[in-house]
Amino acid sequence: MRHIAPLLLSLAACSNPTFSENRCADIESTSCVEVDPADTTQDLLDIVNSVESGATVILGAGTFSMENQVTFRGADNIALIGQGMDATNLDFGAMEVQANGVDAIGDDFLIQDLTITDAPKDGLRVEDSEGVTIRRVRATWTNENDPTNGGYGLYPVRVSKVLIEDSEAFNASDAGIYVGQCIDAVVRRNTAKKNVAGLEIENTQYADVYENIVQDNTGGLVVFDLPGNPVIGRDVKIHNNTITDNNRANFAPGGTVAQIPAGTGTFALASRRVEITGNTYANNNTGDVALLSGLVIDGNPEKWAIPNADLIGDTAGLMLDEGDGVTMNFRTSEVYIHGNTHSGSGKKPDNSDMNAREIGFLLAVAYSGQDVDNVLYDSIGESSFDAEDASLNSNDHHICVNSDVGSFSSMDLENLAARPVPLAKYMYRPDAPFAPFDCDSFTEGPLVMPTFLDE
Amino acid sequence: MRSLLFIALIGCQSGFGEVDLPESPPDQLSDLDLISVDAEGQLVLNDRVSPYYLNTPLFSDYAFKQRHIYVPNGKRAVPDPRWTYDFPAGSAILKTFLVAPDLREPDVDQRRVETRVLVRRDSDWVAWPYIWDEDGQDASYAPSGDTIPMSVIDRDGSERPFTYLVPQKNQCQECHEIEDLSTGEKGIVPIGPTMRNLDGLHDGTDQLEHLVSQGLFEPPTPDRPTPAIHWSATRDTDWTTVDDDTLDRVARDYLDVNCAHCHNERAVNGKTSQLFLSWDNDDRFRLGVCKKPGSAAKGTGGRTWDIMPGAPDESIMYYRMETDDIGSMMPDIGRSLVHNEGLALIGEWIRRMDDAPCEGSD
Repeated sequence: MRHIAPLLLSLAACSNPTFSENRCADIESTSCVEVDPADTTQDLLDIVNSVESGATVILGAGTFSMENQVTFRGADNIALIGQGMDATNLDFGAMEVQANGVDAIGDDFLIQDLTITDAPKDGLRVEDSEGVTIRRVRATWTNENDPTNGGYGLYPVRVSKVLIEDSEAFNASDAGIYVGQCIDAVVRRNTAKKNVAGLEIENTQYADVYENIVQDNTGGLVVFDLPGNPVIGRDVKIHNNTITDNNRANFAPGGTVAQIPAGTGTFALASRRVEITGNTYANNNTGDVALLSGLVIDGNPEKWAIPNADLIGDTAGLMLDEGDGVTMNFRTSEVYIHGNTHSGSGKKPDNSDMNAREIGFLLAVAYSGQDVDNVLYDSIGESSFDAEDASLNSNDHHICVNSDVGSFSSMDLENLAARPVPLAKYMYRPDAPFAPFDCDSFTEGPLVMPTFLDE
Repeated sequence: MRSLLFIALIGCQSGFGEVDLPESPPDQLSDLDLISVDAEGQLVLNDRVSPYYLNTPLFSDYAFKQRHIYVPNGKRAVPDPRWTYDFPAGSAILKTFLVAPDLREPDVDQRRVETRVLVRRDSDWVAWPYIWDEDGQDASYAPSGDTIPMSVIDRDGSERPFTYLVPQKNQCQECHEIEDLSTGEKGIVPIGPTMRNLDGLHDGTDQLEHLVSQGLFEPPTPDRPTPAIHWSATRDTDWTTVDDDTLDRVARDYLDVNCAHCHNERAVNGKTSQLFLSWDNDDRFRLGVCKKPGSAAKGTGGRTWDIMPGAPDESIMYYRMETDDIGSMMPDIGRSLVHNEGLALIGEWIRRMDDAPCEGSD
């Protein structure tokens, strides 16, 4: 690599403890440079700002005390590799300027085997790129429950073909792992703890989310679209995850995430073609799974209107609302829930703030001491609702809830929000099978999952 | 002395005023042969280099800026009604940042901190940061930028300490990168020299005509857009006394220059946030009116809407300008201090908005 002066190259020897796991000598790359924590962080940034496409930057074991963010731009196929999450630490705690930790734009970006600590904004932000791998990366903040912590731990946004695996996120004041506006995402074997939201899949198409451990957050693993975003989410499979004990008091400083009641396992909001199966849900005090209309977070359908010309990806066959030249995606439809285990949840819904977290408060009132049902559906937009008679409930949105969830309730949330008496009149709590929600497939066939890992 | 990582390929002069700009950044700014400093500390310009001025400048922690354009002999920059001038290959744009310790006497003890260089190559722009040496005689290439503790006495006499960021090379793209919507290709572009932000009298001269007569620019297009407001002449206005149309125009120019380099439909962060603050955006929702941010995290300051009409104190946009909290401020980069004058302007602009109040959960 012609731009790197020899004095910055630590010639790796197998005996060098600073580069015991990953060395340039072991890596095929058009150019590779090793950076020792004993070098100045200015040296590291000189290298980061000089790399060309195809370069690998290997960080040695130890702590890099950063004064500015690690920024990659204008180069593809860059790899940033440490010696392991417990060995290499990019520490941004002393940074006096506003920035993320690692901030990258570039196709085929790889980041692996390191920890990012105390970034003022996001730990790792990768934006507007294709083919991104995040492997064994930990994003964390030192203080627990601190609303001044950065927002997102691991944050790929508008990335296509993103893999996040064997990574960790702790103490984010918004979401630990946040997959935003992505197309083709595989999120597996990660751990998210002590965040406000553990793992979020937002406005994302074709996401395979499995074998993650999501514990001790305010809300666990959630799927949603936000209003006005041209990437309409679809085909999200949440399977074989552990989503337990997500009861941490909400410490978000604001934003939509501040509305999540503590004790939330999973919600799917303004989402479609979502399968939730094989997961372990336990001890989420507000409840395990809720299916919600986007109108719960923004009740004006016009805010959800996206000009058809702006739409990104394939929206054919989706159950979306149409307007004059626009498409609206507030509706939640085509959700299939089956084969999960549920235990010990819904015993104490979060009633801490009847305004900020109204749903938690409503559930506390509505169930008043009974366990909240394992799966809830808000029924917003359904053409008919009745608390007693299955035949008087519509399932226009094709919500499929298998008997094995144990308990299910469809709620007339719009009327329930006015807290009428008796509340039971606005809750349909059938015995299994939960007709008319006892379907077991998607209207347009099985979910389409990303295949880029097989290519 | 910072590590000299780059091999300097010094441009050779191929004619009077004519410079072949190198492919890679030289170690010293003076080696570009565009600007240098004489014994008295004054800038000396190459004959084909012209200073230029912007009607509304970007706020950068009260730094002063000297801007220069270089266009090769026999070539001219071509105007665009919407975006910046299209500069011919071989052109360069330089922006030099100067700080003064006391804004009540801004001409006293000014010193140059950094010069940001944009070089127009055959098919793209590249951005090179330089940091001025202690003696102010030359600047050295500094790809990793710097963070410099500083303090300034503002025009009210208050001491305001802050950390000045010299952006690292790759941070240039945070503001200067846009996507060609027809090809999907991303690239670096200049921000300042648009027709509307250059169009006006500077030093008593019509700037666009002057740059044409210098042989640097093609004449303005016939559909010449309304010029941006002269900020320096208006910044101390009591905005409560200004009519609605003028207020709206000044505010939109301010947002355009200070925010729209990211918040436009061609920029990375604009696309992610869907918040468009360009002067010509007429979509009120995507201007922020009753719009919830997608991923602002703590940047909301606990507020719900980007703009709550009539209520700056309930508007995230106002919070992002009034805070100096690291992690919450806007612009994302290049500001540590609050811009009091800009804040007063945007506050009054939101206060006067007569859009319907935002409805929904809060």
